[in-house]
Amino acid sequence: MLKELLSPDTAPHATNVLVGKLGDVLIKAVGKPFDMAINWGRIYSLWPVHLETACCSVEFGAASSPRYDVERFGIIEAFGSLRQCDLIVVMGTITRKMAPRLRMVYDQMPDPKYVIAMGACAITGGLYFDSYNVLPGIDGVLPVDVYVPGCPPRPETLIQGCMLLQEKIKRTKAK
Amino acid sequence: MTTQLPPGMHLETVDDKIMTLNVGPQHPGSGHMRLIIKVDGDYIVSCDPDPGYVHRGEEKMAEYRNYIQNIPHLERPVIHDSSNILYPYCLGVEELLGIEVPERAKYIRVIAAELNRCIYILYWLAIYGIFLGHSTMFMWPAGDRELFIDLLEAMSGARVTHAYLVPGGVRNDLPSNFEERCLRQVEYFEKRLKEYEAVFYQNPLLKARTEGSGILSRTDAIRLGTTGSVLRASGVDFDVRKKEPYDVYENLDFQTIVMKEGDSYARSRVPYLEMFESCRIIKDALRKMPKSGSVRTKLKPNPKGGNDEVYRRVESGRGAIGYYIVSNNRPEPYRVKISVGSFRNLICMPYLLKGEKLGNMPAVYWGLNYWPVEADR
Repeated sequence: MLKELLSPDTAPHATNVLVGKLGDVLIKAVGKPFDMAINWGRIYSLWPVHLETACCSVEFGAASSPRYDVERFGIIEAFGSLRQCDLIVVMGTITRKMAPRLRMVYDQMPDPKYVIAMGACAITGGLYFDSYNVLPGIDGVLPVDVYVPGCPPRPETLIQGCMLLQEKIKRTKAK
Repeated sequence: MTTQLPPGMHLETVDDKIMTLNVGPQHPGSGHMRLIIKVDGDYIVSCDPDPGYVHRGEEKMAEYRNYIQNIPHLERPVIHDSSNILYPYCLGVEELLGIEVPERAKYIRVIAAELNRCIYILYWLAIYGIFLGHSTMFMWPAGDRELFIDLLEAMSGARVTHAYLVPGGVRNDLPSNFEERCLRQVEYFEKRLKEYEAVFYQNPLLKARTEGSGILSRTDAIRLGTTGSVLRASGVDFDVRKKEPYDVYENLDFQTIVMKEGDSYARSRVPYLEMFESCRIIKDALRKMPKSGSVRTKLKPNPKGGNDEVYRRVESGRGAIGYYIVSNNRPEPYRVKISVGSFRNLICMPYLLKGEKLGNMPAVYWGLNYWPVEADR
């Protein structure tokens, strides 16, 4: 009963806005208590691997600067050891030389792992769509969770992308 | 019977004292490059840099875009120093097409270039701090950088990729009361810069890690063809702004920073002192700038260069950037060759790291003012 009332599929949009995040929390708590607990732990401790691939890394650095401070959303600034990371932010252009290394880094990360494609180059090749050495997007290399457009995206856009990823993790079944 | 191995597959002779370390392209520091380092205990025996992870073919792309369409992608190699990397391109194209630049536009270009130099050096300093484990030195410059980003955003409308300099001047005029705002922020920043001295440059930990490590002598610096802050930290008084002044640099009051030591400490300190000079240039340019007038000479649509070639260079945050442009009576350039400071400084890394401790590697590496995206182009 409660589940039906608060489910985003059946309940009118207004109800969900009124109850806000509480609706999601109640559904998870009643339905799958363990999923909720696991996902709750995951979304506020995302560790991105420190793999800078092109110029978007400047704006990734700015996102952890005092003005934007991405840490308050539960995403810790880039970290060296990829075996303890669960998020990979692909910052910009992937060239033919970099693509195998990117896949190698991804394969070494423990499950569950998430991918954010940051910048136009990582999404479609962007400005370098007709260059001989640039991949037209990273979809052929990694399964992407969230696309953050822009050339380069502003730090606010990146933070919103991270929050979308958190929302996505919250709604998926815990592995 | 020995089998013939394909080239490159031969096994190395194993020496149980020497270990090969593979640093990158994913490593705790910044930058998408790989260093193949051989260590004997804690000491580096040899170092072989492997750049090219961000080679995007900028020079080839420039051949099938016209002179105006080339602007956005030519600034991408160093998005946080975008005015300076576009500067020589604009100067070169102006010479090819025979365009006169209005006086006010020249001053605005200098202001934009100096603001951008500060943005670049502050980002570099932030990464230098976090490289050496000094978190305060990441937070302070990364926060102060936003002052200048705000100014350039007001000028051009974009946060980092401005495309503000165009052949013939600048894209648009300054916003209203920009002069006051710029002066206020620059004066605040000068006070702020002095605090860096006590926190970072007089810090005994920084001194212990950088003083006397990676010494590049004056003759070696010239012989290896280094440029920019690396050259000036080794005692060579060379700055393109002084030696081959472009636009209005000859009217402005500043001096070249030169240090004699040639070690990592000097290389980390020269860009810091240059920021004071940049502030002086900005204040001087604001004073001397004509208060009104045109800022851009309009070009014909699809301008064509004659059968000509041109080489122009400017001083960027990383050293001299040169553009060699060849035109052949077509709207697109025939060839654009970019000579960048990062790549020229990379060559001295194997010389500097030989005999160093492995722990000093980050200080030497980032002290070279190396930005991989620019080096690979």
